[in-house]
Amino acid sequence: MYIKDLYAISPQKTHDLSFENGDWLVFNEFIYKAIEPSYQDIIPASQLRRMGKAVRMGIGVSLPLMGRNPKPDGIIFGTANGGLEDCIKFLNQIVEYNEGTLTPTNFVQSTPNALAGQVALISENMGYNITHVNGSLAFESALLDASLFFDEHGQEEKTILLGAVEEISDYNYNIDHLGKRFKQELVSNEDLLYSNTPGSYCGEGSTQFFLSNNPEKSLAKFSALKQSSCLSKNEIGDFVLSFLAEQNMNPEDVDCLLLGKNGDSLTDSWYDELAKPFGDKPTVYFKKSVGEYRTVSAFASYLAVQLLNGKAHHLIENGAAAEPRTILIYNHFDAVRHSLILIQK
Amino acid sequence: MAEIVVTGMGAISSIGLTIAENRHSLEHEISGIRKARHFKSHYSDSLVFGEIDQSDEELLLELGLEKGLGYTRTTLIAVKAFREAIQDAQLSPEDLASTRTAFISSSTVGGMCYTDDLYHDANLQGSPSEFVKHYEGSDHALQIVRLYGMKGITDVINTACSSSANAIALGARLLETGKVDRVIAGGSDCLAKFTVNGFNSLRILSEQACKPFDNTREGLSLGEAAAYLVLERKADVTDSKKIHAIFSGFGICNDAFHPSATSDDARGPRLAMELALKRANLNPEDIQYINAHGTGTPNNDLTESFAFSKLFKDVPPFSSTKSYVGHTLAAAGALEAIYSILSIQNREVYPSLRIEEPIPDFPFKPTLKYAPDVTINHVLSNSFGFGGNCTSLIFSACT
Repeated sequence: MYIKDLYAISPQKTHDLSFENGDWLVFNEFIYKAIEPSYQDIIPASQLRRMGKAVRMGIGVSLPLMGRNPKPDGIIFGTANGGLEDCIKFLNQIVEYNEGTLTPTNFVQSTPNALAGQVALISENMGYNITHVNGSLAFESALLDASLFFDEHGQEEKTILLGAVEEISDYNYNIDHLGKRFKQELVSNEDLLYSNTPGSYCGEGSTQFFLSNNPEKSLAKFSALKQSSCLSKNEIGDFVLSFLAEQNMNPEDVDCLLLGKNGDSLTDSWYDELAKPFGDKPTVYFKKSVGEYRTVSAFASYLAVQLLNGKAHHLIENGAAAEPRTILIYNHFDAVRHSLILIQK
Repeated sequence: MAEIVVTGMGAISSIGLTIAENRHSLEHEISGIRKARHFKSHYSDSLVFGEIDQSDEELLLELGLEKGLGYTRTTLIAVKAFREAIQDAQLSPEDLASTRTAFISSSTVGGMCYTDDLYHDANLQGSPSEFVKHYEGSDHALQIVRLYGMKGITDVINTACSSSANAIALGARLLETGKVDRVIAGGSDCLAKFTVNGFNSLRILSEQACKPFDNTREGLSLGEAAAYLVLERKADVTDSKKIHAIFSGFGICNDAFHPSATSDDARGPRLAMELALKRANLNPEDIQYINAHGTGTPNNDLTESFAFSKLFKDVPPFSSTKSYVGHTLAAAGALEAIYSILSIQNREVYPSLRIEEPIPDFPFKPTLKYAPDVTINHVLSNSFGFGGNCTSLIFSACT
């Protein structure tokens, strides 16, 4: 699966590409909000008014990507929660108006497949169209779906718009806060990994890729991926080594690690466990840039493509990776669901 | 490509807590759409629902699950159907935990089925409920993954009303490409104020029990269900008696017309059916029964009938089993896949209930009475959803 093009709206300045060129924002906040571009040239005002944030960010990334690429044969999205703000707005109406006569806009916008549906609608695309909502593995599921799609079409040239979106609303922030997912105290994102307290900070954004099975003029490729659940900590080493073995690779073949450490003192040690076989390896901790959210591995993949193309090297810690050609991403959520994504030049 | 077969089935709906009970109701034209006993809503008295006749407490007890651990109704009915399916396919605990086993589920309301608890938690009213970590759309699947210690590939799909049809298709693709050796695929959706008010705000709910393909149909009835199928490669199945049916093909596309209505020329439904036939290497005349999407809304049943008229020279027997169970949303695709397979296995066509006057615009009409002794080699099962998501599946008799 070759990556021909990509774009992201994130808490960093990816919307105008200054992030990958070295401009890194420091946050001293509980919520890392996405920096949204002006949509007025992209989305008609009448449609924009009705869109919730997830759909808005998603369309805001899709339309520029679709504008500069051919019509894709499939549209595949991953999102754990879709348009949550609309969802809870509708829910609030249900409770506050005692199930009276309600307007459907919030309901229609709140369904997680609203984004993929709208992209198809706007671009009149009748092709393959799926939305994966597999929690913290939603992007990995979308990626797997895309790889099956290319496998099935063999030599025939095909393209896919693959994306992920997650929004922060007051409501899901409240819910995750009650669920003890976030830190009670404030440290800067520069010091995220040294806080020594449970929880993390909440991020959001939309990351999308234009994929093809034709390697010509590609920026990088998704070489392999693997997901698992219910592993014990002592199985993590085998999880990564068997994954590499399936690709006929050793830890030495990986030039740079992208790890999902999020500052949670309860589960960050799983990343150290995974990194053990790699020794001293140049590493990027991508959640320092964008915080924790369910489809953040899509942003990590975006960052990997930038690193493979000589950009964003200021984020590499633990030594320099001169010209990385092979990047491995490891992310877990609650130490229950795990994923590995291999991206190569 | 490898032949994919169905080796296990499990279902719970308003017409039965097991596959056997479901089939009994289908055969005897017993509808499950009536006044709700367990679901509490402003609309409990004014509308009818396809409600599963078990309370959450009864389900917890039957499944031997502890109260207070965040098992939502979506999860409870999912566990019930999942368990029946894996027992039917004789999957061992080792099979389930294997990295060669995939679990592909689907839901629309997911963990947000207790509207009032969610309201309190989202608005920080009072202490957190037991469900505070269980509101995600994928929560029911994660609960099952934990219960069975599943380490393999998982996924949860939400393409609205075509969700579990797409879960089955994805499962088959994982088998065809050799990524896994067995798949449990399906979906679960329970009645919730969120869904009922959503569909009500779109003004597509029927006050009376829905009557799909009737000329005076007024809308759909909502139902709840969970349904799972176990899929394997035929070549891997040693005991052929385990095989219920062959999964021959699927077609997936987008109507790209409107967020919540089908295009007048039904281009999406037509393309989905055409793609399914192509993938199954079949012609329209090979289909002996269509389990229609047939929601009972004026828009769907007219456009779906139009699609039949364009695709088939002679439209085969068709019906909407939503007239028995209502629209079970994400679960509908898998539940109707199971009904399609029961139809093949038992050589019978289940009718569309409550039709007084078929839609007069077409020369064909749906099956109105239970029809036994029908040879059915290939069934087409349709699922179309909001967002333009269209999916058709084809199941075939074992040869």
